[in-house]
Amino acid sequence: MKKTDTPSQPPETRTARENQRDSIWQALLVPVLAVVTGLLLGGVVILASGANPLEAYGALFTGSFGKPANLIAGLGILFSTGENAALIKAIYPFTESLVIATPYIFAGLSVAIGFRCGLFNIGAEGQFFIGALCSAFVGYSLKGLPMIVHLPLAIMGGALGGALWGMIPGYLKARFGAHEVVNTIMMNWIAFRLSDWLLSGPMKASGFRPVTPNVLATAELPRFFSAPLRFNLGFFIALLAAYLVYWFLFKTTLGFEIRAVGANPDAAKYAGMNIIRNFVLVMALAGALAGLAGTAQVLGVDHWVGQGFSAGYGFDAIAIALLGKSHPAGVVMAALLFGFLRGGATNMQSMAGIPIDIISIIQGLVIVFIAAPGIIRWIYRIRAIKTETTVLTRGWGS
Amino acid sequence: MKKIYFVSALLIIASMVLAACGGSAAPAAGGIKVGQVTDLGGIDDKSFNATAYAGIEQAVAELGVEGKYLESTQQADYNKNIQQFLDEDTDLIVTVGFLLGVDTAVAAKANPGTNFAIVDYAYPDCFGTDFVEGQTCGSATELSNVLGLVFAIDQAGFLAGYAAAASTETGKVATFGGINIPPVAAFMIGYEAGVNYYNAQKGTSVEVLGWDTAANAGSFTGNFDSLDDGRSFAESFVQEGADIVMPVAGPVGLGSAAYCQETGSCKIIGVDTDWTVSSPEYTDIILTSVLKNMNVAVYDAIKAQVDGTFAGGVYVGTIANGGVGLADVAGASAELKAELEAIREALGNGSLTVQ
Amino acid sequence: MTNVLELKGITKRFPGVLANDKIDITLREGKILALLGENGAGKTTLMNILYGLYKPDEGSISVRGQEVDIHSPNDAILQGIGMVHQHFMLVPVMTVTENVMLGIEPTKNGIFLDKEKVANRIREISDQYGLEVDPNAYIKDLPVGIQQRVEIIKVLYRQANILILDEPTAVLTPQEVEGLFKIIDTLIKSGKSIIFITHKLKEVLAVADDITVLRLGKVVGSIDPKEATSKKLAVMMVGRDVNLVVDKKPASPAEPVLVVENLYVRDERQNLTVQGVSFDVRKGEVLGIAGVQGNGQTELVYALTGLLPLEEGTIRLLNEPILRTTPRNILERGVAHIPEDRQRHGLILSFPIHDNLMLCTYYKKPFANGVSLQEKIIYSNAEDLVEQFDVRTPNIYVNAGTLSGGNQQKVIVAREFSRPIEVLIASQPTRGLDVGSIEYIHKQIIKKRDEGTGVLVVSSELDEILSLSDRIAVMYKGQIMGILEAKTATKEQLGLLMAGVHLAETTQS
Repeated sequence: MKKTDTPSQPPETRTARENQRDSIWQALLVPVLAVVTGLLLGGVVILASGANPLEAYGALFTGSFGKPANLIAGLGILFSTGENAALIKAIYPFTESLVIATPYIFAGLSVAIGFRCGLFNIGAEGQFFIGALCSAFVGYSLKGLPMIVHLPLAIMGGALGGALWGMIPGYLKARFGAHEVVNTIMMNWIAFRLSDWLLSGPMKASGFRPVTPNVLATAELPRFFSAPLRFNLGFFIALLAAYLVYWFLFKTTLGFEIRAVGANPDAAKYAGMNIIRNFVLVMALAGALAGLAGTAQVLGVDHWVGQGFSAGYGFDAIAIALLGKSHPAGVVMAALLFGFLRGGATNMQSMAGIPIDIISIIQGLVIVFIAAPGIIRWIYRIRAIKTETTVLTRGWGS
Repeated sequence: MKKIYFVSALLIIASMVLAACGGSAAPAAGGIKVGQVTDLGGIDDKSFNATAYAGIEQAVAELGVEGKYLESTQQADYNKNIQQFLDEDTDLIVTVGFLLGVDTAVAAKANPGTNFAIVDYAYPDCFGTDFVEGQTCGSATELSNVLGLVFAIDQAGFLAGYAAAASTETGKVATFGGINIPPVAAFMIGYEAGVNYYNAQKGTSVEVLGWDTAANAGSFTGNFDSLDDGRSFAESFVQEGADIVMPVAGPVGLGSAAYCQETGSCKIIGVDTDWTVSSPEYTDIILTSVLKNMNVAVYDAIKAQVDGTFAGGVYVGTIANGGVGLADVAGASAELKAELEAIREALGNGSLTVQ
Repeated sequence: MTNVLELKGITKRFPGVLANDKIDITLREGKILALLGENGAGKTTLMNILYGLYKPDEGSISVRGQEVDIHSPNDAILQGIGMVHQHFMLVPVMTVTENVMLGIEPTKNGIFLDKEKVANRIREISDQYGLEVDPNAYIKDLPVGIQQRVEIIKVLYRQANILILDEPTAVLTPQEVEGLFKIIDTLIKSGKSIIFITHKLKEVLAVADDITVLRLGKVVGSIDPKEATSKKLAVMMVGRDVNLVVDKKPASPAEPVLVVENLYVRDERQNLTVQGVSFDVRKGEVLGIAGVQGNGQTELVYALTGLLPLEEGTIRLLNEPILRTTPRNILERGVAHIPEDRQRHGLILSFPIHDNLMLCTYYKKPFANGVSLQEKIIYSNAEDLVEQFDVRTPNIYVNAGTLSGGNQQKVIVAREFSRPIEVLIASQPTRGLDVGSIEYIHKQIIKKRDEGTGVLVVSSELDEILSLSDRIAVMYKGQIMGILEAKTATKEQLGLLMAGVHLAETTQS
């Protein structure tokens, strides 16, 4: 089914599989082109700044994936001498990108599951903080537990904290019709200021620094390599979460309800679904996922929480959910992309002398193209075909 | 054709954005490589990251070293950015702020061949039993390859307090901080002491709002980023009768400055750098600035690296060595200038101490 | 006799659709051209092109022999073309005068609105064309028929001499339709020319001077009304022979299955739109509810199906009162609902057909096992229903939104009929459908009746009510004006009831 696929072909001869394949191809085409176009325009921006885009993107690539030559050399040293230091150094950039992608996956899933129900969760950032603080608290305050108990408790603490933080705007919407966009933004500010207060008082470690104590080793997500590699179990938990969200949304009755409420709330009501209950449920789940993003960051990477703990994961998550078309697989891919962009940014900043903001510009360009697919279709002359339109949110009136 | 317009429009926008962001350091000749890792404030925070980098830029121009910086956008970046400089065989890594304290010490121990300088922090920093070395604190011992750059800012604060007390018309002066931690509180301790000294000298009773050294407590916004907090703190101090405010909370102070400028009801004492230079739009309401000359300290550390005389330990910036100071006081009488000069000398030779 | 308007070779493509294909039509001066076609035949697209809302890909428009470019409604108005939309474009909280002057407000001294001038002009127009209306009345207080007059006055105020009337009778009672035809007559006599868009064959035969029939974006042909019959026109419209009458055996009604007593319902704006309605639907009969749209039928159905709460009154199903009127509770008790707005309530357009075919029972066996959806069963159920109900679709995996209106309605019917039901509530079941689909849906409803289901049909199409029902209730302003046996009811009698005349008065006359 390549370019022979012309509109004149009678639709009856197409099989379900072909249809599915075409729609997947269509779904991938625009995001991929948006990324490519974003990089191209970003290259022009780099050029305009007086730097060499090829050099910059080269640095971005080696910064996010590592140098293939180093990898081969590292493997050679490992096999010849049994010494793994060189190999670890070679895979450091790649694993570091995965480390950055981990909270992106969780937070992206959080926003995506909201979109699926027609809710716009701008509160992922606040939920991220609350999740991180709850996990940190469980992680440092419960002493003497074995890891098999302590780690799951610390993870659950983050998920529950985030769930609570998400459920509040969900409940306010369900009970009073208060718009979740306004409420999640307000909850963000409450979370930021609450964490300021907690860090300077109740949760402050001894010493003068306004940071939490370190979580105990029994609550840390295990790392797979020695320092400085920070690659840890969190990444795989994120992948598992993505699969579970996929299963939940597409293979269960509860997910069916959520998608129905998101796609057409009137029809959902007609079919006997409880819309209000779904709003609360989805916001709680979204909160839990964003909370887990914070959990993964604190238990896997930092081990303590200080001011400015997040680099705006909760806000980038909106872009990730859009880029991933609110599908868990798409979210994982988009999160990996952001992880590689952010991961390589340090090297690009250092080697090519390009400010880290350039990465933000590229991300911004990608988001513009995703949000306005018409631009991409117009540039590349792609004909719009009728595919499933994911309802993102409904307006203020809903 | 339309498409060309579209692309060029995007380019123009993009280049404007870029111009706003500013470029990175220029490459320089010379074998010595210096790298600065900022904290979350970023390189253009008009505060200690920017001031420290000014020291590096001076070294690039005068000593011919190679200098650059990496910005951190979250705490997980500290480690990653230090690692990046280590991979590039940087000779001297300058880290900024106490939040980098642990990561800097861990990296310094693992890489004894690389020198470090850390602004506003020093080792040893592990005291008592509560701390776990390498986790909750950096090092239990002094590190031979790390120079801690700390500042006796209470001395400069003392001068500011004296100047404020001499300048107030309402008899009340105020200060507030970001978070109650020693590097912040030191400004306020000096400030209060300076006011008290003025009262003792002149028999006045100028009051300090927002800080009480005896109680080790005062007014804090709880953050270093909310300009709104800066506004509302300044507003409430003015309502309580103060006409001079010293905000010790980075950019938060700019909110206070904006309030003072709009209402004309108060003057601001800047901190870290001379605000008439870093924020000239507020010059008309800036009384003076408490200077923490981190650029000088960083430059000296680089010079030591170049000269091969770098040694770990602690550098303390004082009035005597020019590490801290007070900027010109706006509208100061000749009498006040002379008095400040005398205090400066006394603090410098130790005949007067901040207590 | 000159041609005031000529469209030549008008072609308009939308992605994947050829909405108008080289259409030629001609409007003679002082005549009525009826443009006939099913929904989706391209009538509305063509008129939107004429009114400047769409740009044609090909073709030309000439007004009085002069080729013109029409880029916007303003251009159309300058050419003397005026449009009365199917859905009125009026602001309810403004007066007639304010609505007429909207967009072209005349002013005194350049600042103050000159309402008096407009009101006087409206009175002149009213007198000239027999369009009686009070310029100071608020739109929201006027009946639909009068609102339509306001729309026509708006067009005449802008000095149009070519009027496009888009489905003007859809919202009117039979009596109001008569009134409209009189107005049209006056307009023609004073030299206006009219394009009359409709899919109702009888109206075409009643008023048209010329008839042009569209099908699938093409002109099928033009026909002289003197030679045309309903049958001929239907064949032209649909492209094949159709059966315009529903074949049905006499009903054999048994005990009541749905009993409604003293029902009061508020709509979403909290207006009390159903006021004390009582009736029953018996096993094996069709009760039709006639009435002009907007007289509380929608809210009545919403209340019966749980989409709106009851203000007062009871609903009994099989002699058991329904206490919790939630949609789920009602549908689990055996009530099927073909909703009035199929795209709003009946389907999730962005979901595949197979999901829409289990929308109301997704949580039950066999579609779900616990919380886990049973995809294989969902697919095989869909395959069966698609075949059984003749849904024309490439496969069951495409989204419901890609189907035509008729096939969308078949999906809803298939879903609702595939579960065990006692009562069927069908609201406007054939609105906007092509003749072929109407035929099919009607057959299915009668089949359900014959199987012993109690059926409630709500429709504003009197012909549909008459051909389906065994008994007919007429609703007016939230109340039931009377319930008649379908066999003896006449259109005139129903029309009077629909206009609010009491049953006793209609039988006297």
